[in-house]
Amino acid sequence: MNAPLRLPSPRGTFRVWQRNMTIFRKYWKTIMFPNFVEPLLYLAALGLGLGAFIQEGGINGGTYVQYIAPGLLASNAMFAASFESTFNTFVKLKIDRIYDAIVTTPVNAEDVVAGEYLWAGTRAALYGTGFLGVLAVLGFTFSPEAPLISSPWALLIPPMLLLIGVMFSVMGTLFTSLIQRIDLYAYYFTLVVTPLFLFSGIFFPVENFPAPVPQIAWFTPLYHAVNVCRELATGPSPIVLVDIAWILAFTLILALLPIRFMRRRLIS
Amino acid sequence: MSTEQKRGVRARESTLVARDLRKSYGEFHAVRGVDFEVYRGECFGFLGPNGAGKTSTMKMIYGAAVPTGGHLKVAGLDVTRHERDVKRRIGVVPQENNLDDDLEVKENLLVYGRYFDLPKKVILRRAEELLDFVQLTDKADAQVEQLSGGMKRRLLIARALINDPEIVVLDEPTTGLDPQARHLVWERLRELAKEGKTLILTTHYMEEAAQLCDRLVIMEGGRIVSQGSPGQLIDEHVSPQVLEFRSRDGSLEKLWALVEADADAVERSGEVLLAYTSDADELLEKVRASGIEVENTVYRQAGLEDVFLRLTGRSLIN
Repeated sequence: MNAPLRLPSPRGTFRVWQRNMTIFRKYWKTIMFPNFVEPLLYLAALGLGLGAFIQEGGINGGTYVQYIAPGLLASNAMFAASFESTFNTFVKLKIDRIYDAIVTTPVNAEDVVAGEYLWAGTRAALYGTGFLGVLAVLGFTFSPEAPLISSPWALLIPPMLLLIGVMFSVMGTLFTSLIQRIDLYAYYFTLVVTPLFLFSGIFFPVENFPAPVPQIAWFTPLYHAVNVCRELATGPSPIVLVDIAWILAFTLILALLPIRFMRRRLIS
Repeated sequence: MSTEQKRGVRARESTLVARDLRKSYGEFHAVRGVDFEVYRGECFGFLGPNGAGKTSTMKMIYGAAVPTGGHLKVAGLDVTRHERDVKRRIGVVPQENNLDDDLEVKENLLVYGRYFDLPKKVILRRAEELLDFVQLTDKADAQVEQLSGGMKRRLLIARALINDPEIVVLDEPTTGLDPQARHLVWERLRELAKEGKTLILTTHYMEEAAQLCDRLVIMEGGRIVSQGSPGQLIDEHVSPQVLEFRSRDGSLEKLWALVEADADAVERSGEVLLAYTSDADELLEKVRASGIEVENTVYRQAGLEDVFLRLTGRSLIN
């Protein structure tokens, strides 16, 4: 426990990221398709289906689809990074033993973890960018008077999705670094990911709830990710900087824990 | 002239030094203070049964385990202080296959080469040479899953060589392989030794140690119980000739009493009584004259298995 804290090297981090990218480039079409379709299903079912019943007034003066679309960008990044840092990382760690092979090279255990963070962020950004493009086109094609993406600030969404992906990768990797059995992810998804998805202001504003619901929401990561995406999609106010700062601080503080735990699992 | 003598002519420069090296996992002491030195260009073996501490020692050499105590210098560098630099200079063939299944055979070498920051051109050239070296050129584009056990092991050896290491560490390089695949691996390892690479390997096959190693240590219970060249170990610990008597339960006891007087040493391994002597003919004559019923008698030269049995009181084979 008193081992010196080891920081990842950029070089080693890049090599691990590069390994994942090499494989992704071979299979990206099959890998990306489900992640791409899923948010469209939510958009259709909830935005158009449920949205038809709450059309009167909408939320914040817009339509319901306009309200939930940017939030789905954030949750899509969360899901992409969460799957990457849980099931995929577990397989590489315990089943395929990919990391055991890597740590005998000049790439260290801490580089492996940082490389996986960066890769999960990249994957989240790649999916999100595709989805963002679809939202922009759909919005302008079918309802130009109420577009889904209405601000040029939306160009900043992809790099923000990278950051959001890294944040959720840190959380997922932390869980992965603590468990021995793959079945335990059911707990992580049921008790962490799903509640975040439902109560982070994607489908309804949490601010209108009585205390302490909005206060609790403020301390959860997806809430800020949703705020950032919504602000950037519609034209941000300076308050978005608080959300970004929250995400950065949370990610940086938490990032060192999985590095430490994973090193202990890989190096005895 | 044996390889040992040939190498003895060169200046003996140590490339790996362990002093009172220890490794504990909680209350379990896997390695309990071992000292050994490996010379540049030799093949050095760790022989011992499962659980002797061989793999823990290997892991400390290649950075997958941190020593609990003592000192370990690999390629002249302290393993705890120069983790990355040590790993840059060695090649590792692990006990369990950990090839990247998502990549094809040749891609495994290319991606692995990048972990060492080698230029792309160098990696490509070496990957082709190494596939040729381990006779996998025609499998270059195959999926790893399609390879046989022997092929996977050869690919692991090729992967360990991608950075042109000074030292190659092999943890049980032929465990689980069929005899043909084993001989193919041995042949490749001899070729590497000829090229001047330092090889460090663990094995629980005496034949492997005798075939490949210039010097070896015998480990048991986390300690080194003896070290030397295979020939030295045999000379030092056992008499040159062995008589193996197989017999029914009752007569084995009587036989023991009889041969004990004349043999240099007697060991029992299951239903077999082993008598070590420098004059097998005389001993055999005596047994025959005694009239004790013996089912089967085998005469052979002493080997490393006998050294092991002598030192640890148990057989490696079981």
